[in-house]
Amino acid sequence: MKKELNINHLTRVEGHGAVDIVIENSRLSEIRLRFTEGPRFFEVITRDRLYTEIPKIVSRICGICYVSHRLASVFAIEDAFGVKVNRGIELLRSLLTVGEFLESHSLHIYFLALPDYMGYPSTLAMVKDYPNVVKRGFKLKEVGNRIMKLIGGKTVHGENILVGGFASIPSREELEEVGRSLLKLIPEIESTLFFLDGLEYPEFESPHEIEMCLNSPSPSLFSSEVSLSDGTNFTKREYELFVREEVSPYSTAKVSKVKGKPFLIGPLARVNRLELHPKVLELTKRLKHSFPSKNSHLANLARAVELLDVAYRGVEFIEELLSLYPFEPKVEVNPREGTGFGVKEAPRGTLYHKYTFDSEGRCIGANIITPTAQLQSVIEDDLRALVETSLDSEDSEIKKRAEVLVRAYDP
Amino acid sequence: MVKIGVVGLTGCSGCQCEILNCQDALLKLLSKVEISLFPLAKDDNLEDELDLLFVEGSVSTSLDRDWLLKLRERTKVLVAVGSCACYGGVQAQRNDEVQIEEMVKEVYGSWELPFEVFKPSPVSEFVKVDYFLPGCPLDKKQFVYTVSFLLNGVKPFFPKIPVCHECKLSENECLLLKGVPCQGPVTYAGCGAPCTSKGVGCQGCRGDCDFPNHEEIISILTKKGLSYEDALKFLKVFRGNTFRVRRVNEKGA
Repeated sequence: MKKELNINHLTRVEGHGAVDIVIENSRLSEIRLRFTEGPRFFEVITRDRLYTEIPKIVSRICGICYVSHRLASVFAIEDAFGVKVNRGIELLRSLLTVGEFLESHSLHIYFLALPDYMGYPSTLAMVKDYPNVVKRGFKLKEVGNRIMKLIGGKTVHGENILVGGFASIPSREELEEVGRSLLKLIPEIESTLFFLDGLEYPEFESPHEIEMCLNSPSPSLFSSEVSLSDGTNFTKREYELFVREEVSPYSTAKVSKVKGKPFLIGPLARVNRLELHPKVLELTKRLKHSFPSKNSHLANLARAVELLDVAYRGVEFIEELLSLYPFEPKVEVNPREGTGFGVKEAPRGTLYHKYTFDSEGRCIGANIITPTAQLQSVIEDDLRALVETSLDSEDSEIKKRAEVLVRAYDP
Repeated sequence: MVKIGVVGLTGCSGCQCEILNCQDALLKLLSKVEISLFPLAKDDNLEDELDLLFVEGSVSTSLDRDWLLKLRERTKVLVAVGSCACYGGVQAQRNDEVQIEEMVKEVYGSWELPFEVFKPSPVSEFVKVDYFLPGCPLDKKQFVYTVSFLLNGVKPFFPKIPVCHECKLSENECLLLKGVPCQGPVTYAGCGAPCTSKGVGCQGCRGDCDFPNHEEIISILTKKGLSYEDALKFLKVFRGNTFRVRRVNEKGA
């Protein structure tokens, strides 16, 4: 007997995805995660464009993690032209990342994932019973948005994130204000962390063997080196040698493997390294759940851990920024022929951008590897493991579990 | 209760996120309307009639097209939000330079996609659009105003004045005069000029204002150091399809 379970439109995820589960004679025969998102051909639409246009265009890959796409492209372009920015610019970029993670992670925790664990169809439906929980989600998002707007100019797709730095920088008073609001936010994030720690997560062990992230203690600190959980480190120039992309016959995202295997990236992979801010590490010892963990559902808790990490770091970035203030907002950029590489931890995982330019700084080649593409295989393997242990359950229950699992990744 | 829907076709979800960013206004709205369709934010999406639907994203695939056509049938008032839905978005900027087949080949090799892929198009190429809220992303205030206007039986109207107008109100120095490439003079205001206030030229993400003088802005941009072709590409990033038509007309005239 053969039956097929389909989730045709995954809800509460960014973008469009579907899951097909084929069960034959009470055994799982096939599982497919399909991204049905229309292709936007970023590698082609950046062609022949001046380098000044690139960050703006690739920002539009993702409305939630645009800061990461923009910065990864900026890093790649600066790498190609041999541009070195000053410490102030670097710190402001880190602070932007703090804003992005606050917004993206709290959007994920409060608006995409939480309804699953609270038994509601959406967060908006929780307003009546849990008004303060919903308001806390909004509050966290709001501070993140405010940081991105202050530095970038807008909450989504802020244009003031440029090759070489910024057209203008926030005033001393504005930075001090952000520092104060981050300090005020820390207790709210701690409440979020303990609240998420108190939720019941399904028992699950992911079969993945390799985890990957940048070799850096916090997603808000940048690095050009990538680190695998098996001890291998490689440089951003070696990225395509390790992360191998293939076209999928049923998805518009490409499929990636490392050393021939699916690999985990994102919040859980990063938190599993246990190199977070000392104050955060201290607090995580008091949690009911512990890291490192192979339970993919705990990516939600890992997000809360990272929220706290970026908030503490943000306060430190601002202290250092104020000590350097005022600094040059932008360094000189002189285009030259060549190829540049940029890597960055986006909220959902490691991101890679590569561009080649002609001598006038027009883009003649691009390659972008997104977290979504890299996550496809590991999610499919997870789904396989999940369904194989749930074959006795009702169809609707299997579908529900699959959705909750995919959502933990928010591909 | 008035039923509202929010959906995304091919795009970045940035406009839908901006709608969620309305926060307090959204919470107040929930006492007046029912959000019955919003796949990004909820599971219990209904298949019934909608009084008001906000559509983000371009029509890039047969899936987009089929879903859009079905949605239009059950919707009273359809609003295109963001520059993808209004003009085709950044993905449409090379529609006049390369064929879609070439693009597929370039990114995916010779492989065929699992569904039909089109040249990215604005929503209005397939269905009737009642109102347009352009911008990349849309402006949150304009979203809130549109909903409140419509709930009160008033037609939403946002004058198509240039960004320069709002830039002057913000007391900014003119960036074009300082030599920074800026599309303010030809771009539809309503955003409050956030980019120029930061010292970054207007990137034209909201499309054309009324009576845009493209020839003149191109001539100014070329005087500021951009080549004619680079100036055209700069203007095309968000204007997508709409800009190409005008260029052909102007050259033909």
